[in-house]
Amino acid sequence: MKLTELFAKEKFVVTSEVGPVKGCCRPGEPGDQPAFIQEAVSIRDYVHAVNVTDNQSARMRLGSLAASVLLKRHGIEPIYQLTCRDRNRLALQSDLLSACSLGLDNVLCLTGDHLRQGDHPNAKAVFDLDSVQLLEMARGLNQGRDMTGHQLTQPTDLCLGAVVNPNFQPLDLQLLKMENKIAQGAQFFQTQTVYDPKVFETFVRRVEGFGVPIQYGLVVIKSPQMARYMNEHISGVTVPLDLIDEMAGVPPEGYKDKAREITARLIRELAPMVQGVHFMPLGWSDLIPQVMAKTKGFCR
Amino acid sequence: MIGTTKKPLAEILTALDGYQKVALVGCDGCAKVCLTGGTDEVAAMAQQLKEQGKDIVFEATPERTCNVVKAHPVLEPLQERIKEADAVLVLGCGGAVQITRHLTEQYGITVAVKTGLNSVGHMDTLIGGTLALEQCQECGDCILNDTGGICPVTKCAKSLLNGPCGGSEDGKCEANPLNDCAWVLIYHRLAALGELDRLRRFVAAKDYSKAAKPRTLHIKEGRVA
Repeated sequence: MKLTELFAKEKFVVTSEVGPVKGCCRPGEPGDQPAFIQEAVSIRDYVHAVNVTDNQSARMRLGSLAASVLLKRHGIEPIYQLTCRDRNRLALQSDLLSACSLGLDNVLCLTGDHLRQGDHPNAKAVFDLDSVQLLEMARGLNQGRDMTGHQLTQPTDLCLGAVVNPNFQPLDLQLLKMENKIAQGAQFFQTQTVYDPKVFETFVRRVEGFGVPIQYGLVVIKSPQMARYMNEHISGVTVPLDLIDEMAGVPPEGYKDKAREITARLIRELAPMVQGVHFMPLGWSDLIPQVMAKTKGFCR
Repeated sequence: MIGTTKKPLAEILTALDGYQKVALVGCDGCAKVCLTGGTDEVAAMAQQLKEQGKDIVFEATPERTCNVVKAHPVLEPLQERIKEADAVLVLGCGGAVQITRHLTEQYGITVAVKTGLNSVGHMDTLIGGTLALEQCQECGDCILNDTGGICPVTKCAKSLLNGPCGGSEDGKCEANPLNDCAWVLIYHRLAALGELDRLRRFVAAKDYSKAAKPRTLHIKEGRVA
């Protein structure tokens, strides 16, 4: 099921995100399912789809294509994340053909974090294409031709998503790129995590005429230490100090309850401005059912 | 210029292991600017190698060792001395090393040619004797006319052609916060020039065949093959 079908029905689209394991998931092996599958299964009834990250933070993991297919087998609609960092244009096109052939419907086209932030900093970065060119290429595959104009025996049929960072300064520059992504085929957007309602409101007002559905992105803050780490090390993300203080005001055993409260509050306040919400729970997927119950009725 | 840094002496000694008589060839071009291979650095290296028990056959420093027009007139008269050497240690860029090797082969001399430097990029000097920046990677398809004279292929860590990634913060690069985000620089430059509309244009995927190595430049024809 394509996310565009849900947006067309004016559904408030709820998605979450899991990160594949650093290891193999051979079918039929004894033992528990890997955490990312368990997580996705646990929220299956509360979200429309689940993003599958692509070697997130430039850390080598199970591939997002294989992991997306595994989620699909468990009845979860995956959003296959595809970055430009590790593949040239041949590999990217081939992977999109593979994704469609394996029954995937949604792909999120990203640039990818830089290798320097990951666990293989000595690798050679690819970045043959950027995210806008990736979208243009993916749209071409949907239209039945590859990047050099060769006809495909069968076109892909993929819903194309993209990302945008409302925190970016100057915002004009980020919005120029967003418009370029729309012009090249982006059909929906998920935002970087935003904690400041004013920042998000400013962004939403600027993009009202863009004509594409947007999901408010939110990384669940799990502790004050994590929030401070994000401020210091995650470029393009700012956690307001009062939010960190609020989290620090409870004992560690209360962090999860506080995280649930803050997440629900932010969603009540910010998500109704747009057409959906995208959770990035970083392992705390069990918050999502409770948060969705708490926010019921606030999201259009 | 081609930026260079000195290899550690231990690494040079490893490369010269088994070679007693060493000829030294520097470069009074880029390596001189980088304080790695000019006449003074060649003399210093000769002294260091002597202290390590090596015999120095000669020291020579062409004006630009990467250019046969400059290197040949200096090395050609030294052919007999080169034959005395067990190895030639070049304090120059990778091009200087390979032109030196090429000339020794032309002279019919088979001698080991080693390098004492690491080449670290096409560098532009910003502060003489102090600071040089990599700003161009010779992609063969220059887009500076469209980007306010700032190269995103080189100065953006991801070589993005259609604007910044989401990781830029306070105008700095996510990959290295000491570096400016190239696209924020381009944005402000184009805004100052009144040319922000350039950023509305989609830039198609780059033709990297123009940077396919190794390239040969046919100078008279202005042709790259």
